[in-house]
Amino acid sequence: MQPHMKRVVMLLVIAIIGFISVRALVVPDSFGQYGWYRGDSVADNRNNQIGHAESVSCSEENCHKTIYKIWVDSGHKTVNCETCHGPSQDHVSNIRITPQPADDSREFCGKCHFKRVARPSSFPQIEPEIHGENLKCAYCHNPHKPWFI
Amino acid sequence: MNISRREFNKIGFRVIIGAVAGKVIIEKLVVTKGIAAENSPKDGYDWKEHLWGYLVDTRKCIGCGRCANACKLENHVPFDEPVYRTWVERYRVLKDDEVKIDSPNGSIDGFEDDIPEEDIKKAFYVPKICNHCEVPPCVQVCPVGATYTTEDGVVLVDYDYCIGCRYCIQGCPYGARYFNMEKGTADKCTWCYHRITRGLLPACVQVCPVGARIFGDLKDTESEINKILDKERINVLKAELGTKPKVYYIGLDREVR
Repeated sequence: MQPHMKRVVMLLVIAIIGFISVRALVVPDSFGQYGWYRGDSVADNRNNQIGHAESVSCSEENCHKTIYKIWVDSGHKTVNCETCHGPSQDHVSNIRITPQPADDSREFCGKCHFKRVARPSSFPQIEPEIHGENLKCAYCHNPHKPWFI
Repeated sequence: MNISRREFNKIGFRVIIGAVAGKVIIEKLVVTKGIAAENSPKDGYDWKEHLWGYLVDTRKCIGCGRCANACKLENHVPFDEPVYRTWVERYRVLKDDEVKIDSPNGSIDGFEDDIPEEDIKKAFYVPKICNHCEVPPCVQVCPVGATYTTEDGVVLVDYDYCIGCRYCIQGCPYGARYFNMEKGTADKCTWCYHRITRGLLPACVQVCPVGARIFGDLKDTESEINKILDKERINVLKAELGTKPKVYYIGLDREVR
């Protein structure tokens, strides 16, 4: 082989080896583990903290069993505890962390129950101007068992 | 260049041997732990056994916005910024056939009736969320491999690897992605991947007071979502784009985009 060709080939080999070693250093180990992405990222996404526990965790350990039993047969049984009371996982794992009390304002109940044109007509709605004289809803209705107090 | 047949063959064989050896070296060095690809993430959850799907019954939605609220709290989405992983849109078709579409604060504060009822022909709510497409345009456009589809069909973001170029946000035809200023990366709905892989429901599904959102395993023939998909007349958003969404809708109006 002619000397100048040898030099070109040598340079090419050095360039390829350089590319491979730099790439091996820069690209994370788990890249390409499952596909063209960093495999460890799946675990990162899985390890996020849970905020909302389930409603059943409220009745476990007999904590809120009474109110849970009332709610579970009520007209509000499709409304989970955390829909109104907010995320509770912190409180479930450490009872010393007390969650914010549920919003009992008319506006909060109205997010579901004020009359709105776009709502399905079969859904129970009230006219906020003429219903209840600006009293809090819970004055007449039990939010855990609506209609029958 | 004058070259004999013998010399030509010599060089040719060297090139072939070099190419084969080089490929082996590259595989050894770069594509490390190729065998590990057989395993899914640990601790009892096998992602090959699941294919998650999502169903929205727009006929049931009451537009209370508890889903969007719970999503922000569960996933630490910047609460006071106008960015949402899920939100509810209100469609109002007026008597003169004009269509008004809005979603004030992603529906978190609820909706006010600002158009008199007499002017409205029909009105309804449409919850929106990432469609976790089978053919996701956002994954295709990512230049660094920072977003991907998992084996169980969820499109996720690698927050350490994302360079924040925002191509994916532009690439998504559903507007489901947003830029997270706190993280400095693109961000999106994960179907609460940290919850569903531990046997819980996504936060939005769990807090929906009317059951308008249903989540389940498409590989499980007995799951609630499969039973509904087999029975009801379902549709997806922008089917003509060929993205094959895995969020299915019941009761979609022709105005919904």
